[in-house]
Amino acid sequence: MKYILLMSSTKAGVSGYHTWSQSDRDTHMQTLGAIVNELVETGEFVATQGLAQPKEAKVVRGEKNGLPVTDGVFPESKEFLLGYWIVDVAAPERAYAIAGQISAAPGPGGFPTNMPIEVRQFVDSGTAGN
Amino acid sequence: MKYILMMNTMRAGAGVPLWPRADLQAHIAFMHSLNRDLRESGELVSAEGLSFPDQARLVRAGKDGVPVTDGVFPESKEFLAGFWIIDVDTPERAYAIAARVSAAPGPGGIPLNMPIEVRPVMSVPPPEML
Repeated sequence: MKYILLMSSTKAGVSGYHTWSQSDRDTHMQTLGAIVNELVETGEFVATQGLAQPKEAKVVRGEKNGLPVTDGVFPESKEFLLGYWIVDVAAPERAYAIAGQISAAPGPGGFPTNMPIEVRQFVDSGTAGN
Repeated sequence: MKYILMMNTMRAGAGVPLWPRADLQAHIAFMHSLNRDLRESGELVSAEGLSFPDQARLVRAGKDGVPVTDGVFPESKEFLAGFWIIDVDTPERAYAIAARVSAAPGPGGIPLNMPIEVRPVMSVPPPEML
């Protein structure tokens, strides 16, 4: 069963990250890299991506003539996706365990960020797939 | 350049299964046709639908490394319902595809005009995050 693990934060949260020291950032990224390496070894890894800064995000709607209407203004409270991991696991508990590992990745001073990670299952034959 | 198009819904969006069957089928046929076009143009990287928000879990690392799961979200939370990852030449092309997704037919065949969030993605963390 495939799950997507979503890491999100607000604009304020992203700004906070930029105040981390370089060594804290390095440790954080190395830990996330090690988690991916483990998932590759267990055969559970499907994909991971990091997303660009919220300031590059646009929201698009279709107009009556089919032309896109783009807007870049979001409420301050909006959660932006920072990155995701897609895993193929035998049980939901395994997806939660991996999300727990990501949540425990070290932040400033080496303390776990405890970031909430949203865990969602894929629909195999839904509207968007296939 | 790769983009992710995110279709978000509020909890109320989970009412989709209550649409008349013909409307639901027209919606799904529209999505299949869109995905076929994107596959033929070589722009589709992946497309997935996610299970309904009632199955979503939020996971944090506990002190002992055991994942702590929670299924309670604020009423205002936006849930990811599905996403497309596309590889296109320009941001404008990403916006045009997002507009087409936005115009997917809803009840009575009327375009939903859903807001679609468009974000650049990268396979490594963005340079400003390192």
